[in-house]
Amino acid sequence: MDRRVSLKLLGCAAAVAMLGFGSSAMASDAKTMTVVVKEAGVPWFNILNQGLEEAGKEFNITTTMVGPAQADPAQQVKLIDDLIAKKVDAIGLVPLDVKVTAQAVQRARDAGIIVITQEGATQENKTWDLGLMSSQAYGEAQMKALAREMGEEGEYVVYVGTLTTTGHNQWADAAIAYQKEHYPKMKMIADRFPGADFIDQSSKVTQDVLQTYPNLRGILSMGSNGPIGAGNVLKQRHLEKKIALVGTVIPSQAEAYIKSGVIRCGFLWSPKDAGYGMVALARMVFDGKKIETGIELPKLGVAKVDDVNKVVEVNDILTIDKSTIDALIKLGL
Amino acid sequence: MPKHFKAFARRQEFWLAILFAVLFVGLSIARPNFLSLQNGVDLISSYAYTGILVSAMLVVLVAGGIDMSFAAVATVAQYAALTVANSWDIGWLGVLLIAAAIGIILGVINGLLINILGLSAIIVTIATQSVIFGLVLTATKGQDIFSLPGWFTDGVAIPFHTTLDGYQYFINVQMIGLAVALALTWFVLNRTNVGRQIYAMGGNVEAARRIGYNVFRLNLFVYGYMGLAAGLASIVHAQYNMSVSPTALVGRELDVIAAAFLGGASATGGSGTILGVVLGIALVAVVQNGLTLLGVSSYWSQFFTGIIIVVAVASMARDVRRRWYDNPGAA
Repeated sequence: MDRRVSLKLLGCAAAVAMLGFGSSAMASDAKTMTVVVKEAGVPWFNILNQGLEEAGKEFNITTTMVGPAQADPAQQVKLIDDLIAKKVDAIGLVPLDVKVTAQAVQRARDAGIIVITQEGATQENKTWDLGLMSSQAYGEAQMKALAREMGEEGEYVVYVGTLTTTGHNQWADAAIAYQKEHYPKMKMIADRFPGADFIDQSSKVTQDVLQTYPNLRGILSMGSNGPIGAGNVLKQRHLEKKIALVGTVIPSQAEAYIKSGVIRCGFLWSPKDAGYGMVALARMVFDGKKIETGIELPKLGVAKVDDVNKVVEVNDILTIDKSTIDALIKLGL
Repeated sequence: MPKHFKAFARRQEFWLAILFAVLFVGLSIARPNFLSLQNGVDLISSYAYTGILVSAMLVVLVAGGIDMSFAAVATVAQYAALTVANSWDIGWLGVLLIAAAIGIILGVINGLLINILGLSAIIVTIATQSVIFGLVLTATKGQDIFSLPGWFTDGVAIPFHTTLDGYQYFINVQMIGLAVALALTWFVLNRTNVGRQIYAMGGNVEAARRIGYNVFRLNLFVYGYMGLAAGLASIVHAQYNMSVSPTALVGRELDVIAAAFLGGASATGGSGTILGVVLGIALVAVVQNGLTLLGVSSYWSQFFTGIIIVVAVASMARDVRRRWYDNPGAA
């Protein structure tokens, strides 16, 4: 470790590269990896960095995280070019705009650097992308929780941010399809409602929905402000026992609602696991492991591998309820 | 009486009132729970923030100006007031005073810039909006405030009706805020000297100046009033949401401006009434509420909301054209 630090201080990038060459066949020889995130200093990526550091220690990879001061894809390109000049062994990338970063990623690959992306399944030229969850699994997990809380019967509604928010609507599609297939006694009583990006709009939608459908038994929100706005209304009207509220939530925002039972169950994915997984995946590539469906990523579970699009997908969905929320908030989520 | 009626029939408010009445009666017949007390309480509570801002926007539009920065001002006001309230026990009065003071100061800054630079209000306030919002995001790092003092989230609850099965209805912060804003704006525009001067300035600023009105001071008042309203509306909004987010308000200014125009406020200044804007908001609120109550798919509701606005604006255009015909040059 000391030797590596002093080498870095001297700026002996060439020596670092040689070290990498010399013993590339050996498992867990020291490597360097720098992850370029969307924006430096925001809470989400600070937590991602915790995952990088943890996995870095475990897999003998020196990790650092960099990111533009403002979410700007051109700045990401500049950072990648700097890293190519520095001759790191691996670059992690959470791309802002896959088109803008495509050329820089190619330059990195040409220089023999492996590139692991996250939230970048469509990034061209990458080595692998790590997907923490499929839209389908995420939507289904939320529907399963809603069905459990509703006793698998009754009327429910679904909220999305807007009717064109891609992620929300894909999750909603999966959730609704799963309900139709598995819970015939449940019924989506109206088309999905927009408004889940804002607390006030979600409250308003909830008020209107309660007026219109007095037999409502469940609300499923894909946007994270939806459960808060709906929860405010349910709490005010003392309807939290009658109506099951489930959806995507930010733990620190939803703490009081989860603990009081207004929000029965929440879902999210973990930036810490994202960081951890990127490093773990990089180590597998360094070690020359064959990456194929069924391979197990430490902590994240068994992966499904799409060899054409170069995507490694696990199903690492966070469930937020009374038993898990304290630990998640402590993590900084 | 017929003469008065004829005059009223030519105004935007008349057509709005008819449209509103048609919707109101139609919805009441189709969906009896449209008329329920709960629905009324819901509607007023959820449109209070917009309503307070629209009433102040009316004053700005009547004065011949416009303000695009009010949402950023409201964001600063609610964030600052409730950050303080989370650390010190300042109570409702303290929260309202801080929010109002911040609103007035930022509003007056807008007024000063518009006066001194002589640029159009839309350019100046888009710029100040950007500056204020940028500072807020930097200072807060985009973090929401999730927990607010208990006395604040409990709000004000004055029971005014109890049903047979013991369910109570309350007058809440939102209703009080909206009523105060509408009453105050009506009073300022119709019963004060300043109000008459604002109409005159909006109608013809040069004429107002030559009569001897202090246009500089009037502008400070108008934008200060908008700032005050933004401050108060922000508190009403935070209480409704039970949390504060620096990104919850900015970007949604058009709701407010559209409702003011729908209510008959003129983009060129000099005209507009509080009755008009009340009808404007009521129409928007009832259309969206009604569409949900009727079970219309969300995919369609934007379409119908658009249609209603087109109908209202078309009636306004007809009205302006006829006034032009009756009295060329005066419309």
